[in-house]
Amino acid sequence: MKLIPLTLLVVSIPASISKAADTNWTTYGGNLAGWRFSELAQIDATNASSLAPKWIFQTRIPGNTESSPIVQDGMMYVTAASNNAYAIDLRTGHAVWSYSKTPPKPLDLCCGEVNRGFAMLDNRLFKVNIEDTLVALDRATGKTLWEKVLGEYLKGYSGTLAPLIVKGKVLVGTAGAEFGTRGFVDAYAPDTGERLWRFYTVPEDGAPGSETWGKAEALRVGGSTWITGTYDPELNLVYWGTGNPGPDMNGDVRPGDNLYTCSLVALDPDTGKAKWHFQFTPHDTHDWDAVADPVLVDLTIGGRKVKAVIQANRNGYFYALDRTSGQFLLARPYTEINWATGIGPDGRPLVIPGMDPSNQGTKVCPGLGGGHNWSATAFSPQTGLYYFGSADGCQTFYRHDSEFVEGAWYQLSDARDAAGERTKGSFLAIDPATGEIRWRFEMVHPPSGGAMATAGNLVFTGDVSGNLIAFDARTGKVLWRFQTGAAIHAPPVSYAFEGKQYVAVASGSAVLVFALP
Amino acid sequence: MPAIRIGALLGLTLWPAFAQAPGTLAGDPEAAEAGLAIYRRHCSSCHGNQADGGRAPNLTRGSLSETQILQIISNGVSGTEMAAYASRLSSDDIGRIVTFLSSAINSQATVTGNAAHGEMLFWGQGDCGNCHAVSSRGSYVGPDLSGIGRQRNMVYLRESLVAPSADIARGFEGVTVVLRDGKTLRGVERALDDFSVVLQDFSGKVYSFDRSSVRSVTRDTESLMPAYGKTLSAAELDDVLAYLATLRSPRDPGVRRR
Repeated sequence: MKLIPLTLLVVSIPASISKAADTNWTTYGGNLAGWRFSELAQIDATNASSLAPKWIFQTRIPGNTESSPIVQDGMMYVTAASNNAYAIDLRTGHAVWSYSKTPPKPLDLCCGEVNRGFAMLDNRLFKVNIEDTLVALDRATGKTLWEKVLGEYLKGYSGTLAPLIVKGKVLVGTAGAEFGTRGFVDAYAPDTGERLWRFYTVPEDGAPGSETWGKAEALRVGGSTWITGTYDPELNLVYWGTGNPGPDMNGDVRPGDNLYTCSLVALDPDTGKAKWHFQFTPHDTHDWDAVADPVLVDLTIGGRKVKAVIQANRNGYFYALDRTSGQFLLARPYTEINWATGIGPDGRPLVIPGMDPSNQGTKVCPGLGGGHNWSATAFSPQTGLYYFGSADGCQTFYRHDSEFVEGAWYQLSDARDAAGERTKGSFLAIDPATGEIRWRFEMVHPPSGGAMATAGNLVFTGDVSGNLIAFDARTGKVLWRFQTGAAIHAPPVSYAFEGKQYVAVASGSAVLVFALP
Repeated sequence: MPAIRIGALLGLTLWPAFAQAPGTLAGDPEAAEAGLAIYRRHCSSCHGNQADGGRAPNLTRGSLSETQILQIISNGVSGTEMAAYASRLSSDDIGRIVTFLSSAINSQATVTGNAAHGEMLFWGQGDCGNCHAVSSRGSYVGPDLSGIGRQRNMVYLRESLVAPSADIARGFEGVTVVLRDGKTLRGVERALDDFSVVLQDFSGKVYSFDRSSVRSVTRDTESLMPAYGKTLSAAELDDVLAYLATLRSPRDPGVRRR
């Protein structure tokens, strides 16, 4: 077998209708490696067609629920838009407590008052609030234990991601690179909220990487860190993706590669120091954030075993890197690309000239959202495949010129579907050792939900039309679907409670759970 | 400032008219110029460089009054990404944005036709009521036109008559389904997802299919509406436009809209 499980997952696969021991879902990524893989197999390819809803929890909060639930001790902990969160009794679907804090105004946000979930450590839960604070809640009651400011919301910083617990520290990133903010990854003490370290994704004057901007420190902005990272305990490295440089669409004012934007950084969790970085899209002008889950898998490439980190990047290429060194291993396109002829042996894209946004508009594939954007991906050690959604199409990118004003929009124009074209989507399975696409499920619209794989040889995702879909993880055959009634912008999770396996997903402003009859 | 040709990139020229809202500086070119700069900074990333839409709505259709736009900019739209700007921009600056939007679409288009004759053509030769309703008369398969004279300007409506595919009203896109036996159905796309399609034909009949049970499903690039540039003379087109300009009813809250 070419895939070596990273952590000690118990992949003992029970007979299909056997009882499932209570199994939780305790982190955003399912495990520290970001696999989003459940070892539960009560629901499998033979019986998935019988899945039925068990309960529906209505948050009644307007806006998309992008949260990945945490399940522990008979409870589900889930966040909702606009600083709301709930502890839900798994048996009945009723809330035991709720958390709500009215967001301050004005807020500068690119993409709504969304939140992607909790992190959990012992008797505490941690979430970010939209005004870019980190809050610790008592798991039993929802009481606020402490709240710390990460970034100043009046300067455009915001908080949307699920935190990550590493070695007893609470790690978070920030959003806001459409507003000229400077990205960072922070570590906090769970009991006091004391900040232990900060890694800036845009280097200070004179520091390595600062020479890749060609402008004064005050105007080097971007590199937000708005999706949860992953962690390899053996190498003691945290992996975190970074977003676009600012301004998004006009690169003239920031000549150079603009490190460490659109990159993956490997950090020492004890110090916050970077061990290596890899930049997917140097000098990005298309808002191709590299924030998608950095998934840690062990691969055999060309007969050589390698500890890899993989990512379906927003620029349209799938990448595998050596996660010990950051060395480039391979890249393969998974959607239509017209901005590069390929990726060179050093991992740098071979860019086609003239593809920058322009005043009259430049048609570029993929569009502003990618490719694969931020939605959670999944890796199954059972099939060895990596699963994610892709927006497939082209957009016309525009630019304009404007001065930087702290806290204000600093995107300098936008993109839209090319005239007469509509971006479609797909959900696909890739062999991470080669980048080869094993199967692709075509979608009418760009995908919105995230992915989850299970040991029942299943992979789940939700679409923007409201369908929650179960695929045969090996073939891509649709085994089951359910119309949830609202666009699904969140990834599913799976857990076992009182002998039964459940699949849960947020849809619209609700959370739905499914099980076999 | 020079009038901005909204939609020039699409080869369209759209000049919806606004009713003036209190606090705006309608017709003040300096205010409009300043409004454009403020618009570019705060709004263009979502609503487009020319206000003609991006991932947020096109603001040049004239479907909102100045007062409504002022309220939306100030208070935001709950449950969407549209934030409230009242606490971040001064009321003067919000007024300047509204002035820019108004100036960009300041309609000089005049209507010269005979509205009474246009009404006869609408319900008679044009057979527009087969798809459209005016104040409860006609059909709801196509957009309700009861307030269209208030909601859209004459340049846009003329284009809709002669080149209806240039901008198809949201929620009224056409879809073509070919059944297993080769029979083709065409109608308004009521729902289309990865597994199913629901369409409604001109008689109002609803068809619902699993996509696996039909041969093909295609989203139409052409509007379901016929082009009237040849079936009506230039004078008759003017007459129909003159009639449409008189349709200024508020929306009927009892009618379901898509």
